[in-house]
Amino acid sequence: MPQDPSPQEEQQHTLILGVGNTLYGDDGLGVRVAELLAQERLPAGVVVEEAGLNGVDLVIKMEGWQRVILIDAVQMGAKPGTWRRFKPEEVQLMAEEQGLSLHEGGIASALELAQALGKLPGEIVIYGVEPEVLEVREGLSSSVQAAIPELTQHILEEIWKRER
Amino acid sequence: MNKRIDVHHVTRVEGHGNIVVEVENGELKNCRFEVVETPRFFEAMLRGRPYTEASHITSRICGICATGHATASLRASEKALGVELSEQSWLLRKLTFHGEILDSHILHVYMLVAPDFLGVGSVIPLVGSHPEVVLRALRMKKLAGDLCAMVTGRHTHPIAMVVGGFTHFPKMSELEAMRQRLIDLRKDVEATVELFSKLPWPEFERDTEYVSLSKPDEYAFIDGDIVTSDGVRVPPERYKEVTNEFMVPHSTAKFTRNKRESLMVGALARFNNNYDLLHPKAKEAAAALGMKPKVTNTFLNSAAQVVEIVHSTEDSIRIIEELLNRGVQPEEPAPVKHMPGEGVGVAEVPRGLLIHHYAIGEDGRITAANCIIPTNQNINNLEHDMRAWVPKVMHKPEPQMQLDLEMLVRAYDPCISCSVHVLKIQS
Repeated sequence: MPQDPSPQEEQQHTLILGVGNTLYGDDGLGVRVAELLAQERLPAGVVVEEAGLNGVDLVIKMEGWQRVILIDAVQMGAKPGTWRRFKPEEVQLMAEEQGLSLHEGGIASALELAQALGKLPGEIVIYGVEPEVLEVREGLSSSVQAAIPELTQHILEEIWKRER
Repeated sequence: MNKRIDVHHVTRVEGHGNIVVEVENGELKNCRFEVVETPRFFEAMLRGRPYTEASHITSRICGICATGHATASLRASEKALGVELSEQSWLLRKLTFHGEILDSHILHVYMLVAPDFLGVGSVIPLVGSHPEVVLRALRMKKLAGDLCAMVTGRHTHPIAMVVGGFTHFPKMSELEAMRQRLIDLRKDVEATVELFSKLPWPEFERDTEYVSLSKPDEYAFIDGDIVTSDGVRVPPERYKEVTNEFMVPHSTAKFTRNKRESLMVGALARFNNNYDLLHPKAKEAAAALGMKPKVTNTFLNSAAQVVEIVHSTEDSIRIIEELLNRGVQPEEPAPVKHMPGEGVGVAEVPRGLLIHHYAIGEDGRITAANCIIPTNQNINNLEHDMRAWVPKVMHKPEPQMQLDLEMLVRAYDPCISCSVHVLKIQS
């Protein structure tokens, strides 16, 4: 992992960011997926990082990358452990309609601020997983834990597919 | 005149807090700041864990104060186990701490406070009205994050800081590049002072007991005695003589008081208690902001943060130059001298005095832990400020009165998400 999360070399093009807090139950799922992805063989130019909850920090982290893949807990009213792939406009729209709850000051506000500043990466993909437990405790719920391998595999396939 | 202000979930603060104010026939009847977040049981999480894990666990309590929690946690273990840091480790600890002070203060003064004064409701419209201000804030914040990452390997969680020292060391080329970036940052820092020196800070005076760390030879951020503006000075181990925690029914956070009805920690307390040890340029900034101790206007806590932005920038340059002169050698963490042990680690994190108190057993596992967080210490003072502030603003239309109250809350830079802890394990 580079020390500086912004792309340091020209060939670094894709940033995968696991967002969340591992001390807050399923909120830590993004970080867990990032940890798993970091252990896999990744295409050249793909970097995996974890990020806290601060929207402004997300804007800074995303700046300069061609492509950013965000992984986070998203309350979408589905069965816990359900995961979905979102486009940023869907997330923003749903956040506005309150139908979807992301971290306060998290992804939705980061996207809004980045857009206002003209600093949005060319492509953003968001993987949201429905959490079961959002409270102070370490470790994921069994429903979210069960979804992690499939989601990790899916993201791996997606980034490798792009290389071909 | 009857009024009721009920702000459910104050925005632009970390975590969830409510303001409740009731005015009846022109008299203040009720005034509370409610903390409603689920209690967090971090101390319970620490019990039974190896001391080597404590800083990594506690650094995840808060995404903003990760380095602050890690530092206080490491100091608690180091004091408990007789670990003595090398000179190089001290320089690196102080350097990354400055990075976090910069990071957090820039976020607060620009993104959370400035919108109130520049007539916009949040940072998004600020992009439209004052794009240069937002871009400057992001530029400064990016540098602060990179400074932390250079020292501790990664910004969000300082993984390379361990009991006894570090497991990662910055390269000379990185230090040289960072020195240049900090020198270039000076013009943004100057612009920050200029911007905030022009803001119309509300007129409000309420003297209180200002509590901070103090060291004889430097503006204290890590270690030192706990001192107060009422003349109290105790070593960290006697923190309970100052914090005197107590519970109130409407809050899940504990309140504190000492000599007076309430006490205040944070940048303003540090400024008031340690002004003499600020960098000369920070003193110049204070003069430009119209500040000289003792400042008793709570709103100027944000201005004191601007002063500290200057101080931390200049002291970071000084530390980097010292590191460049002496060179940075990879070194093993300093050894543990004895086990078991008990220790108190203290640090002045962006929001004020943070205390970690651990007892470590013979097997190296934590048997008891207590953490006292700055926002906890401030909530009682905030309520007393609100009681003094409401009579000054209650003649205003309710939306304005509400904004005035929210601005007072935001002046404290409260971080409610980590302030809430009701479980305490007695050592």
